Amino acid sequence: MNPQLTLVLSAVVLGLPTASFAVNAVTAGRLPRRVVTYLGPGSVLGSFVATLVLLATMLAQSPSHRGITVTFWDWLNASIGGGSGVSAHAGLSAAFSVRIDPLAILMMLVITGIGGLIHVYSVGYMAEDPGFNRFFALMNLFITSMLVLVMSNSLVFLIIGWAMVAFASYALIAFWYQRPSAVVAGRKAFITQVIGDVGLVLAAFLIFLNLRGPSGRLLHTVDLQTIFANVGPGAHFHGGLGPVGGGMVTAIGILLFLGAAAKSAQWPLHTWLPDAMEGPTPVSALIHAATMVTAGVYLVARFHPVFQQAPVAAGVVAVVGIGTALMAGIIGCTQYDIKRVIAYSTMSQIGLMIFAVGVGAYSAGMFQFFTHACFKALLFLAAGNVIHALHDDQDIRVMGGLRRHMRWTFLAFTTGSLALAGIPIFAGFFSKEELLGQGLALGPAVPWLWVIGVSVNVLTSFYIFRVVWVAFTGDPRSENAEHAHEAPAVMLLPVLVLAGLSTVVGFLNIDFAGFAPVTLFQAFLQPVVGVPGAHASALVDGLALLAGVLLSLLGLGVAWAVYGKQVLSRELIPQRLPWLYQLSFRKFYWDEVYDVALVTPALALATGVRRVLEPGVFDSAVGGVRDAVAQLSADLRTFQTGFLKDYALWFFFFAVLGVVLMGLRLT
Amino acid sequence: MSGLFPGFLILSAAMFAIGAAGVLVRRNPIVVFMCIELMLNSANLALVTYARYTHTMAGQVFALIVIAVAASEVVVGLALITGVYRSGRRLDLDELSEMSE
Repeated sequence: MNPQLTLVLSAVVLGLPTASFAVNAVTAGRLPRRVVTYLGPGSVLGSFVATLVLLATMLAQSPSHRGITVTFWDWLNASIGGGSGVSAHAGLSAAFSVRIDPLAILMMLVITGIGGLIHVYSVGYMAEDPGFNRFFALMNLFITSMLVLVMSNSLVFLIIGWAMVAFASYALIAFWYQRPSAVVAGRKAFITQVIGDVGLVLAAFLIFLNLRGPSGRLLHTVDLQTIFANVGPGAHFHGGLGPVGGGMVTAIGILLFLGAAAKSAQWPLHTWLPDAMEGPTPVSALIHAATMVTAGVYLVARFHPVFQQAPVAAGVVAVVGIGTALMAGIIGCTQYDIKRVIAYSTMSQIGLMIFAVGVGAYSAGMFQFFTHACFKALLFLAAGNVIHALHDDQDIRVMGGLRRHMRWTFLAFTTGSLALAGIPIFAGFFSKEELLGQGLALGPAVPWLWVIGVSVNVLTSFYIFRVVWVAFTGDPRSENAEHAHEAPAVMLLPVLVLAGLSTVVGFLNIDFAGFAPVTLFQAFLQPVVGVPGAHASALVDGLALLAGVLLSLLGLGVAWAVYGKQVLSRELIPQRLPWLYQLSFRKFYWDEVYDVALVTPALALATGVRRVLEPGVFDSAVGGVRDAVAQLSADLRTFQTGFLKDYALWFFFFAVLGVVLMGLRLT
Repeated sequence: MSGLFPGFLILSAAMFAIGAAGVLVRRNPIVVFMCIELMLNSANLALVTYARYTHTMAGQVFALIVIAVAASEVVVGLALITGVYRSGRRLDLDELSEMSE
């Protein structure tokens, strides 16, 4: 790839949303709405076009030449010695450089493409909002941060993007800052993110301090490509981060995953995601479904050379992922808030992706990310249409019968649900089939992780079709639902585009029944993550596929029987297994556990400090200093008589004293 | 020649002491000013004396600078005195004590 062209295009991709954010932020809401309407979505779509050009130039190259690093500028250089990088005391040297390779391009396409569609949708959704300009400024800021995160070739800028994303998410969750619940939710999300940031930063420190080059010398580098080249399997005997499965590389893997878990809402840092639904619906679609929450998957895929050296850490990733997928699936079945149901399904699907990248099926995990971004953004935006039509009511119990008034939205939501449930021909089917198939082949020797993963299918299709039947069919259960009307064109168009994508993108990963050894999508990502090392036999693969589809259909059928045809009582589970129902309805009590274990003690400590320590120690110390200074100045003030002669006298006195002292020193 | 040096230095010290005493005891600002000039010139005398004694030019050059500074100082000082006089107050340093408030 041509470095100059890549540099210019990367600058355009990063620059457009940044410039739009800057203009919007500096004018502080004084820009006319008409301008922002075109500026906000336009800048992101412009970025998308530049990304497409990058993709085209990349596809023109042979697969082994599809990665390129370009440097914008040397941001910080504290290394001592020669410029060739070979110096005795290599210090921190962080360049603002970007890495354009298939993995980065995939993320950029989703961020700018689906992000652009959501921006267009927001023009309609936020039309009545007084914070219209602020909304687009923050959305553009988010796009910029996310692009920095996925494009960066330096640990430093990766962390900067990582933290900026968290801030943009915080500001958008708490966008309606007049609502106390939104502010609390934003704060919760941000604090959780910071816990993850600490993990990521510590991992970066450990890599910086411990990575050794081929000669066994410490490298002290933050350049990602250098890091991966020296971590890789069997690179050299003394090098890397110590032996495979050693303590150092395992610690780094676990710390990286702590960061990934916070971003991707995995247990135990998952509680912020459902609360984040307090933000406007486009925010949920963009940040809490399509892009930011999958940054953890990206991180693990990007750092796969590290995880390949740390089987224990990778195992933790896989187990946490599959556990979160199951837990979130169970919770999703009993929630009543339409956005929360989708939020738990996000958590569950991301759990599956995390599982995939944990067992080493990187391309399968990233493909699930890609299809998920399409159909989950679709579900959120369609839900946004419903919420908009119902004047901000999100409870599915007050909906019903919306199919009649919102034909297109119903169609779109159903498409998204089919894709999410993994019903054949829709996108989710292909991604889940590959993910679970490879999970079975690569999983840690026992198929039980696969068994859990495939049974999540039942839950997934059950809870999403529960929403479909309760919200869209039957009779309207409220005044608003009766008078609901279809969304305007500007909101409908992105939804329908996404519905089309959710139907067709799966075919990118169709493996022509042994015709090609690797699928189109796998071949695309191969230069970065390689191809999976193990394949299940065709028979096992086929049976696994069949099991997955049957379980999805079973979930769909149960949902139909309970909520559609109503031949099964809704009270079956609540009455027979009340503990299970309560566990699910109360979200496994994690909020309560954290309240008791962390929040309450922290608040008690803070109150104690305020009541005891502050007046007793800090106030008296500060007050004491203040009183002493006041007393001293009052005393010194008596010297200031205002008589010139007094001053002159003092002056002479000290001058003579100085001369005398100097004389004493000389003798 | 060298026997004269103590004489010059003693003269310089005496001028300085007279000037200092004048600054401290006199109440008329113009007289105080003249005393300051006296002190500056006593310093000049000492500088020139030592320059001669050590056969270097530094002291003489420095004396020239002191003269220039003294001239500028006179400008500022006389302007201040004129200003105070114009404001209709007596030229008495003991009465000009607003600085303490």
